[in-house]
Amino acid sequence: MQVSGSRGLVNNVSIMNDMDEEDFMGPSVRCVMFALENETYGIQVSKIREVLRVGQIRSVPGANRQVLGVINVRGVIVTVVDTRIMFDMMPKEIDDLSRIIIVELDDERTVGMLVDFVMEVKDIPEKKFEALSSTKDNASRHIQGIAHYQDSVIILVDVDTIFANHE
Amino acid sequence: MDEEILSDFLVEASELVDQLNEQLVELEQSPTDADLLNAVFRGFHTVKGGAGFLGITPLVEVCHRAENVFDKIRNGDVSYDAVAADVILRAFDVISDSIEALNAGERDLPENDPQLLAELDQLTKGTAAEPVLEQPVPQAAEPVKDVSLQLPEGVDPDGEITDDEFEALLNQRDFLLSDGDQSNASSQSADVSLVLPEGVDPDGDITDDEFEALLNQRDQLQQSPAAQAASSTVELKLPEGVDPDGEITDDEFEALLNQRDLMLHEDDAFEVPPVKSAQPASAPAAPAARATQAAAPKSNSASAPKPPAKSNPESTVRVDTRRLDEIMNLVGELVLVRNRLLTLRGSSGSSEEISNAVGNLDHVTTDLQASVMKTRMQPVKKVFGRFPRVVRDLARKLGKKIDLELKGEETDLDKNLVEALADPLVHLVRNSVDHGVEMPQDRIAAGKPETGQVILAAEQEGDHILLSITDDGKGMDPDVLRRKAVEKGLMDEVAANQLDDKSAFELILSAGFSTAEQISDISGRGVGMDVVKNMITKLNGSIDIHSVLGQGTQISIRVPLTLAILPTLMVAFGEDSYAIPLTSVQEIFDYDASKTNKIDGQRMVRLRDKSIPLFFLDEWLSPGSSKESYDDDKVVIVSIGNQRAGLVVDQVNGQEEVVIKPLGVMLKKLSGYAGATITGNGNIALILDLPGVIQRFQY
Repeated sequence: MQVSGSRGLVNNVSIMNDMDEEDFMGPSVRCVMFALENETYGIQVSKIREVLRVGQIRSVPGANRQVLGVINVRGVIVTVVDTRIMFDMMPKEIDDLSRIIIVELDDERTVGMLVDFVMEVKDIPEKKFEALSSTKDNASRHIQGIAHYQDSVIILVDVDTIFANHE
Repeated sequence: MDEEILSDFLVEASELVDQLNEQLVELEQSPTDADLLNAVFRGFHTVKGGAGFLGITPLVEVCHRAENVFDKIRNGDVSYDAVAADVILRAFDVISDSIEALNAGERDLPENDPQLLAELDQLTKGTAAEPVLEQPVPQAAEPVKDVSLQLPEGVDPDGEITDDEFEALLNQRDFLLSDGDQSNASSQSADVSLVLPEGVDPDGDITDDEFEALLNQRDQLQQSPAAQAASSTVELKLPEGVDPDGEITDDEFEALLNQRDLMLHEDDAFEVPPVKSAQPASAPAAPAARATQAAAPKSNSASAPKPPAKSNPESTVRVDTRRLDEIMNLVGELVLVRNRLLTLRGSSGSSEEISNAVGNLDHVTTDLQASVMKTRMQPVKKVFGRFPRVVRDLARKLGKKIDLELKGEETDLDKNLVEALADPLVHLVRNSVDHGVEMPQDRIAAGKPETGQVILAAEQEGDHILLSITDDGKGMDPDVLRRKAVEKGLMDEVAANQLDDKSAFELILSAGFSTAEQISDISGRGVGMDVVKNMITKLNGSIDIHSVLGQGTQISIRVPLTLAILPTLMVAFGEDSYAIPLTSVQEIFDYDASKTNKIDGQRMVRLRDKSIPLFFLDEWLSPGSSKESYDDDKVVIVSIGNQRAGLVVDQVNGQEEVVIKPLGVMLKKLSGYAGATITGNGNIALILDLPGVIQRFQY
């Protein structure tokens, strides 16, 4: 972990410093980071079953606009949504970088979220998260909080809430 | 803590209740069948044992009395006539309802109807009113109440129970169960004591061996004088055993237990704990408990709050361990094949090796599929079991004489189907009894035997099950049906007269069509034939009616063996394929615009002098690709309930058996789809739900 500032002050006792830092940072949230329209989003790893390349998506006529269709994940039919449309963005063509993140809502329900590309897994200290102060309520209802961490802004997605209203 | 024991008990008790239901009616036909009597006796006894252990007092009271009655009956002291049967069946209903209530999560059972208990006691007394009868029933009932008070003390609400405590409880139960036997013995001997009032020696000089032999003898219904004498000895001796003083020796007590074990031979688990130390432990508690007797059942529920049972016994299935072994074996094979394929992948093996491995894989998966399916299969007996009782009660109520014959009870079908078929079948059987079979005098007048016959049969027919309900009653008059259809405004006279007899019979499946001249409380209760029809359609089944006026009616139901696999017709729009349940498909022909008319904004196709509405599925399934002409398309005629419709599709790709998979999040409530499936080439096909499709186009 790297946090500028505190490290410079106690540079000579680095081991102690690491422990202090752990204490200071407290528990962290492990997240999968993905990108949508140049922004970085995160979903807790514990919610994610797997990340898939985009194969054939079977469209389901008559379904909501957000639903791209269904895919076959080892014998289970899983709904795929276009995360861009869910977040009120313009849809984008699927390309080589596009991925489907399979999210587990509970024991029985899984859903696939199409994203622009998936980056990495990161541990983000819980303390770094803050509630969103903006009041654009329609868009922000998927957002659990944001974190300013390592020179970037990470938007933590609240998957339970997104799909809570869509049964 | 006892939720788990309770749910085990409920599973077992439900099975016993099912068995008893059948056995009791059977018993009425052959009231002296010793094996049957013993089986019934054991049934009540086992339920009582479990209920006693769990402190379900109302259940114990009824079971105990029923058991007493049957003890009398199997000793030949009381006969199982229609009057006795009515009382016993009522008692049975109470037991059955209690089990159901417990299954539903109810924990406080209502007090028993004292009238019923009194009638049961009256039955036990039989015809002879003996002065010597030492109130065997209250005696037996009290210790049971003691338990209901004691258990909550042992069973801490916190759920932490030590092994010792638990053993003590088990012992207690053993003690009680044997007490049940004792009171049987005592009530039985009460009769005997009329014959031998003074021949009973209270000292009871009898060895344990002799005693055990006699008990066995009693069990086997050997009514020798010696056995009678012995049982009177038992009477005097056993109540002492229950006494708080506990003068019974360990050996004697064990003999009693052995006897009990003979009856309860299936539940080995409770045999283990030794009884010796239990006697002093449980006995002294009795007087104390008696003081607060009245409050006992209530304190039970208050001190041990039980969470409602979450596990529904119907969500579990009992599987023969041999079947499980078979599956395990096949899974082992599957792993071996996988390993072989993995090795082949690494070493890029010859195509022959690969095709061998794939062939092997094919075999293993086919076998595995069949084995897993078998675990879901249950004999249709599970549904049929309730019918003897249904028919008996109805026939008695209506004053008819009816023989019910069950055929093919051992036919296996999918567990879900077994449950789903129960209601429609009950309705059809009730119909046969109520409307089909005539009153005895009418039958004689018509030159038929006085006793009517209803046959309920099941047989496997390829991948379907054929269920049929046949009666030799008055049959249906197609002309009456035609007239009714006109009267009810379902069709005009011309159309009605055009119906052939078979179509006329099928009129009874229409909504709002009741043929009963007057609606009786038996067949007119809510579920109409149209509901039956809908339920069967939902199971992808079909109903066929055959009737000859004056000779009887046969209603046949065809349902697939399993709900998981659905035979379908695959149709397609471009790349996208859809599956239509094959049972609904009637015929397929080429679309021909010249044979269609636009009537009131709805395009209809003419088919053998009928106009059938057409639905152009591409309007829904591939919007935007509006076609100029449908000339190369096909029309699939489907029937939904009594309605027919023509679905216009791009291509028809033939039949395929598919495994139904539910659609996921955000699609569950989408109308028009029954699910999805994965086709042979790995693509996903959507399964159409026809009622939903029609709805989409009509509104």
